[in-house]
Amino acid sequence: MPKLYRSREGEATALDTKTQLTTLGSETAPGPLLVPSGVSKLVGIVVAAMENFAAATSYSAFVRLEGPGLPEGPETFAAAAGGVPVATGGNFAAPAQFTKLDIPVTPANEILIFAEMAGTDIGQVSVGTTLIFE
Amino acid sequence: MSKTLTLEGDLATVDSRTIITAQGSVTAPSLVVPSGAKMIKRIIMAAAAEGLGDGSGVFFLRLGGNAVTRGEQTIMVSAAGRIAVQTGSDAAPMYCRAWTLEDADIEVTPSDTLTVAAEMAGSDLGTGRVVVTLIFE
Repeated sequence: MPKLYRSREGEATALDTKTQLTTLGSETAPGPLLVPSGVSKLVGIVVAAMENFAAATSYSAFVRLEGPGLPEGPETFAAAAGGVPVATGGNFAAPAQFTKLDIPVTPANEILIFAEMAGTDIGQVSVGTTLIFE
Repeated sequence: MSKTLTLEGDLATVDSRTIITAQGSVTAPSLVVPSGAKMIKRIIMAAAAEGLGDGSGVFFLRLGGNAVTRGEQTIMVSAAGRIAVQTGSDAAPMYCRAWTLEDADIEVTPSDTLTVAAEMAGSDLGTGRVVVTLIFE
């Protein structure tokens, strides 16, 4: 059974605040992320996240999935944690993380993707999320 | 039987769909799906930036073209961040190890053509770099 991949990305810039991921790089308004027709499950998620090191502190980040496309209700996923001792000279890259899932979905309905920064405010956390449907 | 296709390229501009077509010394490898292949079964990928700009961002792939039967598929590759160093200091290198998405199962049409693009999104971290290997079965 082929799989389908849908992604959104964005920046969480405020602490303990749900921030919807609504863009996809050059697509500034890709529209709602609808569950594709012909699929029944969310079988995986890929999450990439990184901070901008703008404050000497530590943080964690996670992703929330909500919306009518998820008949069993919202889901949450740890995305990243980090910190920096001085706000000069942070420089880092990290591969995305894949997690296998088995979550029912409702085709043609929307899934909203949110990112949150928790702990203390490090400035900005970029988060990219790919949902894998089958 | 597996067959591979590796592509790499620069991501010079943030939020810009950049088609990647090179393979080092092979400047124009074939983008035709091997005959007999039905799926992109695995994807090996890595992306980072030179870190000449402050901020944070993510990198992602766009797999499309006539060969991808259910339309363009988008996949996050990595994320990166950078803040300016103190005057007189050197920045640490930025490195992203490659990772493999197993059982990618993206349906393709043999003997048709792929379009592989990538993007840096979020902050402009300087020139980005991406490499991807598609493993067909």
